[in-house]
Amino acid sequence: MEITQIQHGDLLVVNLNGRLDAHTAKSFEERLIPLIDQGNKRILADFSKLDYISSAGLRVLLMAARKLDDAGGKIALCGLKTPIKTVFDIAGFSSIFPIFSSRQEAITDFTK
Amino acid sequence: MSTKILVVDDEPDLELMISQKFRKQVRDRELLFVYAKSGVEALQKLQADSEMDIVLTDINMPEMDGLTLLAKLSEQYPLIKAVIVSAYDDMSNIRTALNRGAFDFVTKPIDFNDLEITLKKTIQEAHTFKRAVKDHDQLVAIQQELDVARKIQYSIVPRKFPPFPERNEFEVHAEMIPARDVGGDFYDFFLIDDGRLGFVIGDVSGKGVPAALFMAVSKTLLKATALKGVPPEECLQQVNRILYLESVAAMFVTIFYGILNTRTGEVDYCNGGHNPPYVLRADGRVEAAETTGGLVLGAMKNTAYKAKKIILQAGDGIFLFTDGVTEAMDRNNEQFTEARLEENLKQWPNTPLPDFVRNVIEAVKTFSSGAQQADDITILALRFLGKR
Repeated sequence: MEITQIQHGDLLVVNLNGRLDAHTAKSFEERLIPLIDQGNKRILADFSKLDYISSAGLRVLLMAARKLDDAGGKIALCGLKTPIKTVFDIAGFSSIFPIFSSRQEAITDFTK
Repeated sequence: MSTKILVVDDEPDLELMISQKFRKQVRDRELLFVYAKSGVEALQKLQADSEMDIVLTDINMPEMDGLTLLAKLSEQYPLIKAVIVSAYDDMSNIRTALNRGAFDFVTKPIDFNDLEITLKKTIQEAHTFKRAVKDHDQLVAIQQELDVARKIQYSIVPRKFPPFPERNEFEVHAEMIPARDVGGDFYDFFLIDDGRLGFVIGDVSGKGVPAALFMAVSKTLLKATALKGVPPEECLQQVNRILYLESVAAMFVTIFYGILNTRTGEVDYCNGGHNPPYVLRADGRVEAAETTGGLVLGAMKNTAYKAKKIILQAGDGIFLFTDGVTEAMDRNNEQFTEARLEENLKQWPNTPLPDFVRNVIEAVKTFSSGAQQADDITILALRFLGKR
């Protein structure tokens, strides 16, 4: 899995490319959590190039959401492919993460 | 790494030579020498210090000679490498010593260069050997940890079937095949009172011992709460609140909890983030149970859950499973999928319940034959018979 990041004002966009499973979740965690510890309060995870997510991947997102919650921050997601949206719906994660269809829509909402 | 060497000789020559010739290595703490005057004293020193790497011993000594000491060493201290000091032409003793496990020998009068080279070689061997033993021990420890996880998982789910032989209005069967590194699946079923059967399936995020422990806590909490007779949505709400406090590193569990009214066939259920089960009709229709939109348990402190209802007629049933079934992969990384599962569920009418569950498991196994099982495979099925 490939992880890149780009800053949009005070919004940090993290792009995920590939599969977020038990094997790759660890590297995602090691990348994402320090970003929060460094003080980033608004994070958008762009899933438009993500093909698969397992419960290990969900756990990292949950960890980030809890940390940001404590810090008064927020994490949102965008570009979820249908199978990934289904996983989010089944696990009930759609109700705890703001989900946008596109990055532009998310950026507009975040910078309101 | 410093090396400890026990030098055994009844005469002072060896000690004298060593303390002169290896002065630098001793000063740099590269080598540490301990001295004994007989085999008996050597064994006492070894008993007092478990860190010894090498024994350098003379053969002819009072009390206990070097050859007897060698035999004791290979019995009691198999990790220690021994080097013997023998007379130049004493082939028979050298052979005996090597047969008793000595790693090498030096001959008298001792040539310092030869001794240094021999010791160097022996030190290398001793350390390699110790490292190999350590690596092996670590592997064994990991394996044992996995075995512990598997034992927790196996021992905590009910495994006696049929579980309620005296009841003729319903039947239950379940099977679980843990993955090699244990995925934290579980199932459970219990009578809440004479007319209500509670049934559960769950899947903890994560693997190994942490997942197994979280699984054990989840299962125990759920049953204890359910036995109070609370409706499913309230049960999940209460369990979630406690699990949230237990959830280290954002660990969570998906739980489907249903209550079957054994007289009417009504099922009240609530789904906390688990794959929706299937409703299997007596005529062979396969329907996915409506989702209830509930969040996985342990994720957020205050989560509200909603319940839904299914009505079972005689011969209908419910099929619960974990994603280890649908996401089982074959050698080409292709998944078993819901579609293949649904195809297999069509044999529901007229198949005895235990056979039905086993057939599905077999179908998954056949599909993924040759590929390593990545996740636990768990199935719980119940059939409402309706008679009383």
